[in-house]
Amino acid sequence: MARRLASHDALRGPAVEIRVADTSVRAFSDESVAAAAVASGTRILGRSLKYHRPRTYFCLEGHCSGCLVRLGGVPNVRACLAPCEPGLEVAGQNAFPSAEIDLLGAVDFVFARGMDHHTLMTSSSILNKLTNKIVRQLSGLGKLPAHRPDHGPPEVESREVDVCVIGAGPAGLAAATACARAGRSTLLVDDQLRPGGSLRADPRTGRAVADARLDAVDAAGAEVLARSTAIGFFPEDGGGVLAVAAPARLYRVHAKAWIWATGGYPVNLPIADNDRPGVIAARAVGRLLVEHGILAGDKIALVEVPEVAADIDALAAALTAAGAEVTRVPLARALGVRGRGWASGLDTRDGRVDCDLVAVAALPAPASEGARQQACEVQLDAAGGGYRIVVDPDGRTTTPNVWACGDVTGYMGPARAAQDGDRIAANLCGEVR
Amino acid sequence: MPGKIVLCRCEDMTLADLEHSVARGYTDIEEVKRYTGFGTGPCQGKECLAVVGLQLARLTGQPPSAIPPFTSRPPLAPTPLRLLARAPDAHRFPDDPPDDE
Amino acid sequence: MQAGIDDEDDEARADASGQMRLPATLAGEGPLPASAEIVIVGGGVMGLAMAYHLAKRGLTDVVVIERGYLAEGASGRNGGGVRQQWSTEINIRLMQESVELCRRFAVDLGVNVWFRQGGYLFLARSEREVARLAKNIDLQNRCGVATRMLDPREALGIVPELDITGVVGAAYNPSDGILFPWPFLWGYARQAAALGVKLFMQTPVGSIDAEPAGGYTLRTPRGAIRARRVINACGAWSPKLAQMIGVEVPTYPIRHEICSSEPLKPFLRPMVSELASGLYCSQSMRGEIVGGVTIPGHASTYSMGSTLEFLATYARRLTRLMPILGDVKILRQWAGPYDQSPDGNPILGAPAGHPDFFLACGFVGHGFMMAPIIGKLYAEWLTGDAPHDIFGRSQLARFFDGSGAGLAKEDFNIG
Repeated sequence: MARRLASHDALRGPAVEIRVADTSVRAFSDESVAAAAVASGTRILGRSLKYHRPRTYFCLEGHCSGCLVRLGGVPNVRACLAPCEPGLEVAGQNAFPSAEIDLLGAVDFVFARGMDHHTLMTSSSILNKLTNKIVRQLSGLGKLPAHRPDHGPPEVESREVDVCVIGAGPAGLAAATACARAGRSTLLVDDQLRPGGSLRADPRTGRAVADARLDAVDAAGAEVLARSTAIGFFPEDGGGVLAVAAPARLYRVHAKAWIWATGGYPVNLPIADNDRPGVIAARAVGRLLVEHGILAGDKIALVEVPEVAADIDALAAALTAAGAEVTRVPLARALGVRGRGWASGLDTRDGRVDCDLVAVAALPAPASEGARQQACEVQLDAAGGGYRIVVDPDGRTTTPNVWACGDVTGYMGPARAAQDGDRIAANLCGEVR
Repeated sequence: MPGKIVLCRCEDMTLADLEHSVARGYTDIEEVKRYTGFGTGPCQGKECLAVVGLQLARLTGQPPSAIPPFTSRPPLAPTPLRLLARAPDAHRFPDDPPDDE
Repeated sequence: MQAGIDDEDDEARADASGQMRLPATLAGEGPLPASAEIVIVGGGVMGLAMAYHLAKRGLTDVVVIERGYLAEGASGRNGGGVRQQWSTEINIRLMQESVELCRRFAVDLGVNVWFRQGGYLFLARSEREVARLAKNIDLQNRCGVATRMLDPREALGIVPELDITGVVGAAYNPSDGILFPWPFLWGYARQAAALGVKLFMQTPVGSIDAEPAGGYTLRTPRGAIRARRVINACGAWSPKLAQMIGVEVPTYPIRHEICSSEPLKPFLRPMVSELASGLYCSQSMRGEIVGGVTIPGHASTYSMGSTLEFLATYARRLTRLMPILGDVKILRQWAGPYDQSPDGNPILGAPAGHPDFFLACGFVGHGFMMAPIIGKLYAEWLTGDAPHDIFGRSQLARFFDGSGAGLAKEDFNIG
């Protein structure tokens, strides 16, 4: 079972109460709704679109669809990016009668071998019409919002800067600090509840280091937009504008130079039933531990690829120190996840590992889709974790005035990413005046 | 029975679905996206694009570098209509109410 | 490894190494055949519908050549609307037949297209727009389409989420509907291939030579192919192909953008459209709100890029029409080309001097819903039946010899 660690209690914000599935849950104001749900033992948040398989948190950094919930009457909200505000109402989605006991989960068993919905029931027109009706009723995730937005109209603001850095992980924090110190007006955009990226998920750095580096960005004079997502680069609007969405504000950003420091997304590994609740990104397990002082499980099976061994050494040691029993399993030995509602074991070529959590450590997939909208070339590369941005040795992408550093150019880990950010920023400042 | 190997959790797309798509002749990553639905859900491929790309390279016997990504579409994260509705970029029709209604 | 999908896996064959062998049908590997009776250029819905119907009528020596991947053009980019609310009798009648074909498609072609007849609701915000709708409704009713004029309250009864402030009236036909476009291509392509049609993706045509003895030679990176007849089914790219044989086609591409929301539980029955802005939206079978808006005054372009202008305009108009959607999130936007015809009507048939080169363009963003019937009628004509009326009145020559002056102009190319 997940639990909050007493050793972290002094660091927690004020206690608040939120309501999850009509039950009062104790939380802390600096926790995300997802973190509070984890700590309270809430396991299943919703059901998947096609097979109604149980769904819950996986990445805990706002990039997967695992923790979508209905929040204060608004459907499909990521619980991991929502702060715990007193009295917040959290409800599961797409399940009947509830996310934990969903009768429609029968679909998963009926089509245990999979289903091609394109050719399903096309043999007779009566069956086909019926299928259309049923599928329509089963479709969708959340229900329509309960009310019109009641807050005032959102504001729109513009920013014109020398350098816009996207992503405030180790690479982006270093790059923004260096650019601002070199006298460039610098904007740092980050989509997390608190900037810091993987620093806040890594026991070797953690909250104190992330906060210190964030302070350094401030001290250098860069502007930081937290909880602000770069939603697209539009080359045809206003001479090329990056749109950035904050909870109640839209920013239109123009910059002379851009640095993509978006890192990589935690992804899953291809083992059987890898989508079961209780299968969580290793980085998310680290984030719960390091940022929130929450131990996500007592017996943790860690499935890993060899390239991330150094990161996982640190995580495994910290989890063990916090009281968990950790079993490390190379991906090549892992077969599949056991357990119906929640992972209860991992089948391996060497037998079954009993566990209450499966943490998967894959290479992070470079978050390059924003740079792709600036026409930067990317290349699929297994060792790089996915579609990495192609850069020259100085950090230039294939698009003029667009640079990239850190894991988004191919996996390099947090320490090297910070160095890379620093170095690429220096190169850029030497070139872009 | 062995369980499903899920590649795209938003759309419940499995490795078997990918194999099925390839077997049917839909091998371009854009065709695979349309046939299997992968990458069209709330995460828009953040979790699955690289994974599917690498598996597609394996299934079609190509080097990964020969598999381009599908087109990156804005918005890069789900964005509420109310935020977008106030952008000054909007075209104004003759019957549009003023902004400060 | 998990077992295969519950479906007839007719082409799935693994060799000893476990590597999946591709069927030659869709991937179209290898060189083009040396010749074919008919070469269809353009693997969108129009070309594939023709290929399927030609083959079904026994003409199977057909090769389809597509420049990109299957569904790369407008066929893979449209909103899936299918309606009978038009302003010309010929379009109303053709679409009545098309709707019938859509209803039967899943069973006829073996693939679900999720055709759902939830109706089309056109909203008017001025008396002038109401008058326009009333005139069309008269004509539609005479053709047997049950469109009726609604007052704003009645419209609200059909879509309770509407804010009817400023809405004066609405036209509603319950038998219009929406479908999921891609499966049409899969269905036509697979069935055509099964009947012997050869399909080649990723095969751009570089040049076309008219042969002195008749027919054409088309050159592609996969080699040349000799065709006795060529069908230009390139949609918005049709003028480029026609130009290769010196034929000027006056259509031009206009980019139309479209977007999709997060999936929501079903609530919206009809396609809703607004005359004033060309705003339209419907709820897909997957639960997403799919829609667009027509921003006037844009120059012709083949760019399929996305703009913030579109996103902002759509969001502004849609949240005005349905304020409850304010917190609904947009997941994805994209664009496709309308093949704009100067008079709003399509261009079909063979141009003067080229009796074996056939056009099928100028559908102004509505080629998808027309394709099932046009493909069928075209195939009937090319296999010996008398040509349907539509071919006579849709000739290219009308733009040059004044013969189009008397034709009714379609003015309801909305959304």
